[in-house]
Amino acid sequence: MIYNAEDWARLRNAVFAVSLVAWVVILLEPRASACCAVNAAGVSWTVLLAAHPPASLAGNWALMLIAMMAPMLVAPIYHIRISSFARRRARSTMLFAAGYGTVWMVAGIVIVAVELIAAWRMPGSYLPATIVGLTAVLWQASPFKQRCLNRCHSHRPLAAFGFAADLDVFRFGLEQGLWCTASCWAAMLFPMLLPEAHFTAMAAVAILMFCERLDPPREPRWRWRGFGTAARSLSLRLRGPQRDPAPLTAVS
Amino acid sequence: MATYTRNNAWNKGGNLTNPDLLWYAKGVGKMMSRALNDPASWWFYAAIHGEYVTPANIQPAFPGWKFIKAPPTVPTSPLPTKAAQDLYWNQCQHQSWFFPPWHRGYLMALEAQLRQDIVSLGGPATWALPYWNYFGGTNGSQYQMPPAFAAKKLPDNSPNPLFVNMRYGPDGNGNIFIPTPAGEAAHPGDPNFSRGQVNANYMSNDLYTGHDQVTKLPGFGGPETLFHHGGGTSGNWEGNPHNLVHVYVGYYGAVTAPLYGLMSDPGTAGLDPIFYLHHANIDRMWAIWNANGNANPTKSGWLKGPTTRKFVMPGTNGQPWYYTPDQMKDLAKLNYSYQELKSPPAPKAAGLPKRLALLGAKDAAAAAKKAPATPAKPKVTELLGASARPLKISGRVSKAAVKLDAGVRRKTTRSLAMAAKTAAPDNVYIKVENVRGTFDATVLSVYLDLPEGAKPGESRQYLAGNIALFGLRRASMKDGQHAGEGLTFILDATPVIDQLHLKNEFDVESLQVSVIPADPLPENADITVGRISIYREGF
Ligand SMILES: [Cu+2]
Repeated sequence: MIYNAEDWARLRNAVFAVSLVAWVVILLEPRASACCAVNAAGVSWTVLLAAHPPASLAGNWALMLIAMMAPMLVAPIYHIRISSFARRRARSTMLFAAGYGTVWMVAGIVIVAVELIAAWRMPGSYLPATIVGLTAVLWQASPFKQRCLNRCHSHRPLAAFGFAADLDVFRFGLEQGLWCTASCWAAMLFPMLLPEAHFTAMAAVAILMFCERLDPPREPRWRWRGFGTAARSLSLRLRGPQRDPAPLTAVS
Repeated sequence: MATYTRNNAWNKGGNLTNPDLLWYAKGVGKMMSRALNDPASWWFYAAIHGEYVTPANIQPAFPGWKFIKAPPTVPTSPLPTKAAQDLYWNQCQHQSWFFPPWHRGYLMALEAQLRQDIVSLGGPATWALPYWNYFGGTNGSQYQMPPAFAAKKLPDNSPNPLFVNMRYGPDGNGNIFIPTPAGEAAHPGDPNFSRGQVNANYMSNDLYTGHDQVTKLPGFGGPETLFHHGGGTSGNWEGNPHNLVHVYVGYYGAVTAPLYGLMSDPGTAGLDPIFYLHHANIDRMWAIWNANGNANPTKSGWLKGPTTRKFVMPGTNGQPWYYTPDQMKDLAKLNYSYQELKSPPAPKAAGLPKRLALLGAKDAAAAAKKAPATPAKPKVTELLGASARPLKISGRVSKAAVKLDAGVRRKTTRSLAMAAKTAAPDNVYIKVENVRGTFDATVLSVYLDLPEGAKPGESRQYLAGNIALFGLRRASMKDGQHAGEGLTFILDATPVIDQLHLKNEFDVESLQVSVIPADPLPENADITVGRISIYREGF
């Protein structure tokens, strides 16, 4: 009915497990991450596409999405589960994932196309990654990024019955996908353009995207963001709260 | 013996002959003489709770601080540095299990500043904030605001800093009283509307966070909040009396609307000196609740405070003072006490035996009465029904049909019918979700299957609960801390459902929820409910 720590932990563990499996597959199957398979110096478009059939590109992209994005979906999925009839929970979660995935798959067409073109025209070059990397840093600090993050934190009320319920969760997935794409496009593109250390960069970006969602929504403005809450909770874990030696009871 | 004792503001008739109040007035006056960007100023402290003066929160009309009608004359510049704003301002913890400890530290810090100023003016070094116990006095007679706050002048004929223009009260005429059972009896209100009553019933809760058969969700102190920033749900004690008192003191009048009183909105409430007496009482009753044997959370997530932002107040030494709920949880350790720390006459929760008897399970009721078990924890919580579309709140009554799921409803009817065997009938809750808008200053009463033509005042048996919209505007700001999700309320509909069940009126397609404001809403009051849903809890 409302947030409950135990239910939350159970859902989070399940979602993290799904993400972990995807990471393991990517790790064991280097070709599964599209970028590392691209070695396209001087070949023609047709050869390039023959070496990278769209179906396998799409599959790899989807795998990467599951690995990187799933941990960020705990909150909206939790919202869906408490807002839906028990018998509809699985179905609603699937429809939400379909909506969310649709947006990212469409975005993936653009991102993978950029990746292929970069690898084709400038094989081994760090220039595209540098340009996108700098853009990503700028975007990360911008008020626009904050606006997108704030929208990602917002969960609309959902219809409970019949087709209206199906439509609502699918639309909720589309909305979340749109704001998520708007928030993360630059950070997602960056590792794709790196000629090497692709996997490490992907993992780093995934951690950043997860941590920035831990921060509460706030007003959009230029500022560094990403690890505030994560760092504080880590330091609380490690050092405990810092006590003030003198409580405010004495007249100074 | 504690060094600081907070006394009842109604001592000596609650007027300015009460030295606690006279010194309070002088201290407030001194703090009000300082600039907005001075951490020792009244305005800075109000902004620690919440403000409408920085570019992020500014409003085109009231409650923007620029539009507040004096007194007090509220400055809107100079703003403190961004760093100071980020460190201190807009901290108040609402709809969270941090509500009680954050406000305890807030009171202590303000009090330390006031005490310093009071001492500098020749006042006592042990001065402490008085509290306004609206439940107190013979036959609950202290429901009226202490008269010191309505006096325009101090004894020396200078303006009284405790006097605030924008305080309208439940009748909208500037008479400030709280509709406690005693206050309500003295002011019956508009018979066509339904005035949500302020009471201390939740003192009978036995869980700080969570729920069982005597504590309804989300518990006395509030829901666990950590990294989850879902729509806000106030703790039971925060909901009633806290939120209701805020709204009723501020409120609005037919002539003043859509302007409302400072106390009705967390972004202006800290400007009104009565705020801190209200909170001293809320804090006092938290201490009583603990003294009655009820435990605070022991999870480290509560003890250490939120990881998203630390609790911090400006210290009187100019250094930030950081604190945690762990440091706040025990009043005596803080060297504080209250004049009255005894239990108020909180009506005992009727409890399971009475309910079982009502449902016709006489033997089970007798058994439960003889050997009261520790309140059971629910095994399942699931959705039972929901409204199809958003509901705009306006006029005298707004109605929504809440369609029930036949399968889930059958589980609940079966559990009610089987009460004699299992002694554990379902609980049923109404969840008023995603309430958004800009008009904080009202209290809504939520009824289930209210018969056509019934006078709301006489229809208590259909009443699921009262909700005060304190914090509505801030919770609806798209870039605010709740991402614009608004407020969410959970009301215990179990007693109403029991009655409907006994009349064979629960086994139906849909139930009708009626939402009735305590007074006619101003024409352009903007309040929308996203969804109304019904949940069952099985044991
Ligand atoms: Cu308050």
